[in-house]
Amino acid sequence: MTHGLRIAREALSIDSVSRSEVLRYLGYQGQPLSPELDRRIDDTVARCIAIAQPRMSLASYALREIGEQGVALESCTLRLTGHDIVEHLADACEVVLFATTLGVGIDRELRRLSLTDTLEQVIFDAAATALVERAADAAEAQARAYAAAAGAFTSWRFSPGYGDLPLDVQGDFLAALDATRQLGITLTPSSLMVPTKSVTALVGIHPTVQPGLVSSCSICSLSDFCTIRQTGRTCRG
Amino acid sequence: MDSISVATITPFGHQALRTPRVRDEHLARVLAGKDFLLFDGAMGTQLQARGLAAGEIPELLCLTNPQEITEIHAAYVAAGSEVVTTNTFGANRTKLAGHATVDEIFAAAIGCARASGARYVAADIGPTGALLQPMGTLSFDDAYELFAEQVRAADAAGADLFIIETMADLAEAKAALLAAKENSDLPIFVTMTFDEDGRTFLGTTPEVAAATLSALGADVVGINCSLGPADVAPLVKRMMAWASCPVMAQANAGLPHVHDGQTLYSIKPGEYCEAVKGMLDFGVTIIGGCCGTSPDFIAGEKALLVGREVAARRLSTDFAVTSAQQLVNIPAGHVGVIGERINPTGKKRLKEALRSGNHDYVMGEAISQTDAGAQILDVNAGLPEIDERATLVRLISELQGVTTLPLQIDSSDPAAIEAAVRLYPGKPIINSTNGKQEVLDAVLPIAKHYGCAIVCLTLDEQGIPATAEGRLAVARRIVSACDEIGIPRQDVVIDCLAMAVSTDQSAPHAILEAIRLVKRELSGVRCVLGVSNISFGLPFRPLVNATFLSAAFAAGLDLAIVNPMNERLMDVVNSWRVLSGEDESAQAYVSAYAGRSDAPSAATGAPAFDTTTSEGIAKTLGSMADTLQQIASRVAGAPLQQTASQDAKPQVSAPDGNTPEGQIRDLVLAGRKGPVPDAVRLILADTDPAHDSMYVINEVLIPALDEVGARFEKGTFFLPQLMASAEAAKAGFTVLRESASASDVPSKGKIALATVKGDIHDIGKNIVRMLLENYGYDVIDLGRDVDPQAFTDVVVEHHIELAGLSALMTTTVPAMAETIELLHDQAPWCKVIVGGAVLNPEYAEMVGADFYAKDANESARIAAEVLG
Repeated sequence: MTHGLRIAREALSIDSVSRSEVLRYLGYQGQPLSPELDRRIDDTVARCIAIAQPRMSLASYALREIGEQGVALESCTLRLTGHDIVEHLADACEVVLFATTLGVGIDRELRRLSLTDTLEQVIFDAAATALVERAADAAEAQARAYAAAAGAFTSWRFSPGYGDLPLDVQGDFLAALDATRQLGITLTPSSLMVPTKSVTALVGIHPTVQPGLVSSCSICSLSDFCTIRQTGRTCRG
Repeated sequence: MDSISVATITPFGHQALRTPRVRDEHLARVLAGKDFLLFDGAMGTQLQARGLAAGEIPELLCLTNPQEITEIHAAYVAAGSEVVTTNTFGANRTKLAGHATVDEIFAAAIGCARASGARYVAADIGPTGALLQPMGTLSFDDAYELFAEQVRAADAAGADLFIIETMADLAEAKAALLAAKENSDLPIFVTMTFDEDGRTFLGTTPEVAAATLSALGADVVGINCSLGPADVAPLVKRMMAWASCPVMAQANAGLPHVHDGQTLYSIKPGEYCEAVKGMLDFGVTIIGGCCGTSPDFIAGEKALLVGREVAARRLSTDFAVTSAQQLVNIPAGHVGVIGERINPTGKKRLKEALRSGNHDYVMGEAISQTDAGAQILDVNAGLPEIDERATLVRLISELQGVTTLPLQIDSSDPAAIEAAVRLYPGKPIINSTNGKQEVLDAVLPIAKHYGCAIVCLTLDEQGIPATAEGRLAVARRIVSACDEIGIPRQDVVIDCLAMAVSTDQSAPHAILEAIRLVKRELSGVRCVLGVSNISFGLPFRPLVNATFLSAAFAAGLDLAIVNPMNERLMDVVNSWRVLSGEDESAQAYVSAYAGRSDAPSAATGAPAFDTTTSEGIAKTLGSMADTLQQIASRVAGAPLQQTASQDAKPQVSAPDGNTPEGQIRDLVLAGRKGPVPDAVRLILADTDPAHDSMYVINEVLIPALDEVGARFEKGTFFLPQLMASAEAAKAGFTVLRESASASDVPSKGKIALATVKGDIHDIGKNIVRMLLENYGYDVIDLGRDVDPQAFTDVVVEHHIELAGLSALMTTTVPAMAETIELLHDQAPWCKVIVGGAVLNPEYAEMVGADFYAKDANESARIAAEVLG
């Protein structure tokens, strides 16, 4: 039903982030803000947007096999293991993988700030986190458009490290997107991405409409440590 | 980058000094820039078209499907490729992950390439796939070892040359180039990959890549991948003046993009070759293709070369140095400023910073010199009581975090110089060598091997010659030694050595004359001078320095090593640039100095009145009205600000506090650091002898911070407010440290902090550091991705009683446990706090920690409990 998407890359143009999201990453719970801090957050967000070079690459792969052992894809070494991803992709016929990054300029600025201004580093980091989430939203939107064009539906986006999908699939995940060459995303031996403000995720392409478009806390591997839920909210807003 | 002076210098003279093992006469002509060379096109996309799965290790096909690989090579040879590139892009030990050895792959790959009948076989070396420190975790030495293993394997298997390609990180390209140069004598081609914005993913420009890599000894430099040829052309053109070797280009067949749900490379062979033709016209001599290209593209390029002559190139003769992100060039006749501040000689605070390892002050000096207009920064870590080599290496890494200016590595220890220039991602200046044979023998080979510019002092075994002719004689000997070893003249910088006029009034004349002689007699070299020695022993030294600097510029000085924060000296530089014609139409001067004058009113910042336009008149009237109002209110005795006292003490404005103590408390709670220093000074200036530094700390700052902590605990403050308060308190601590009674401020104890091995998140740890410092603890911050043993060694060395470890990923918690185990074993006295997103009290206990801190505030509370 779909044509299949070979690896493609694109520069993204994102000119704003949600201020309340930046505040949420800073642990904000409605405290009164001084005008200084208020202005500082706005300035930092603007600078973050100016420095970032958001890019994405995406590709689709047909499902070859899905079972207890995980999900295998056509023409791709990536094997998605764990109970949660199997459940997530239960009736999918295809997945769209994507990676987004803000580029290493953000890491360089964070490093500069770590040597010069810790408070600014914290605010800049929150702004960058909000921005890379926006970039991932933009990539996800392309995946949805791709599905919609073929009359199909997508499930919510699922990232390595979420639920019991291990972080060590990251190497094959990036390879499936040629992400080192296309976007400059590299991996440390402990499977962390550099540039650090990078997101990898996938959505399933399903023949039927999917129940929800957001992930849930129930399978989140960080739920034991979560400080956001204590405030009555979740990291999805 | 300014305009550049050029001269036609092809073929490439000084490159002949590293004599590569060249397979035949044709390749020798290619390397001399006299002939063309045609490479092949893509391997990867050809393999994918034949069904290679994404993520498969393509290099293994050399072992499992050698015929298929040879077929791809042979198709390129049939289309006209003189060089085929082995299928070894990712064939390093890490990426092969034990599926085959590096030796096996290179032997098989070179066999496949040879079997195609190609004239030359290029051993392909791609990036490691990991990012180097400091942004990533791979060390330069480990990257070097990965590349060296590939180089040895390829050389042993009979490759004709190396093609190091698709590099985005100049440091990694340098590691690969050095590995090739130091483990083989085959020719080395190096290409980097650039994005639409004209920089690599890591920020390197084509000029920087060309200047740095050709200085380092690459036989060919160029661009590959990323973009289509029409986009590559203007970028490779920017390399032409700066590459002292032939230049190559292997573009993609456009960018992969989605069209109607399909991914396509957009460019067809005809369009591709049209763009390549343009590159040949401006002097590119080595061509081929990258992703998306096929034998059809190569056949088209082959046709372009038939009957074509190599185009003449114009190379820059500017003095040029680079950082990874910036090329600084000083054309002949222009002047440059080297910032001198990062040198501990005679600087108490810098000495203290280098000794303690807390380099914040050094970073501050780098930033202010950059802002003040320095173009290059001198870096000297020469203190007898510290490990100069280790300190220099660390400083150079840290400085790149705060400035993009190229660095001048300043040391008298050749081992320290070599360690620093080897790791430096760019083309630095070495400061310095001199005419002593022993020093020349030690330092010149380093400058040549690592492609550095070099400062040469005109002194030798007999000391500093008193006369200009004597200095010229020493300079002549040094320059001929540089010529002999192959350091290009424009990289040789002669320092005629400024001596104090107060001890010898003939000294200035001798120095200026020496500069004139050196510039006249030794064509192509540059002159540098550390100016400030001239005024030693005189009052108001900046005035003498400035006068001497203008005279030195007039004598032909190219580079001045000065304090760029000294306005008087920068005034000389800026005005000289107008007089010499460097500052065309005085544009820079006018924009910096318009409206300025020496009149006292200007110095106090009174507005310049413009009465030439109606708008100007309106503004002028408005500002006059403001001024009058201010005067009126002063006359009437109404204070412009609420002040703490009516005497001449510093004025402090604060919303509530009536006493300075109260004001400080309010300011800390409000997170407003600006007025804190004055309030602290007010207390210290108090006549009450009890009001000393300890009083300010224990009775004012700490209680305020405790209140901040309590508010954070209750949720009435959130993190940025906690930190703004800590910043405000820090402003107070800084005053205390600088005050006369600084020695009365005892340390509250030492704490070591780190993010554990494998983890590169440092924000949480940095917040903890900031808070602990502001409570008065001495914090030794080892950074991120810290080796367990290295951390333990520091704890043992300083007998540290409290250590803090941070981990943000479940995958790095084991490294935390390992570090704690080592600490318990080797430093049993040390208590350990842990924190981070993936920890809770139970996990903390599991990894063996003594304390769990859920946030920075909690860390401060625990520190108080352990250290008091």
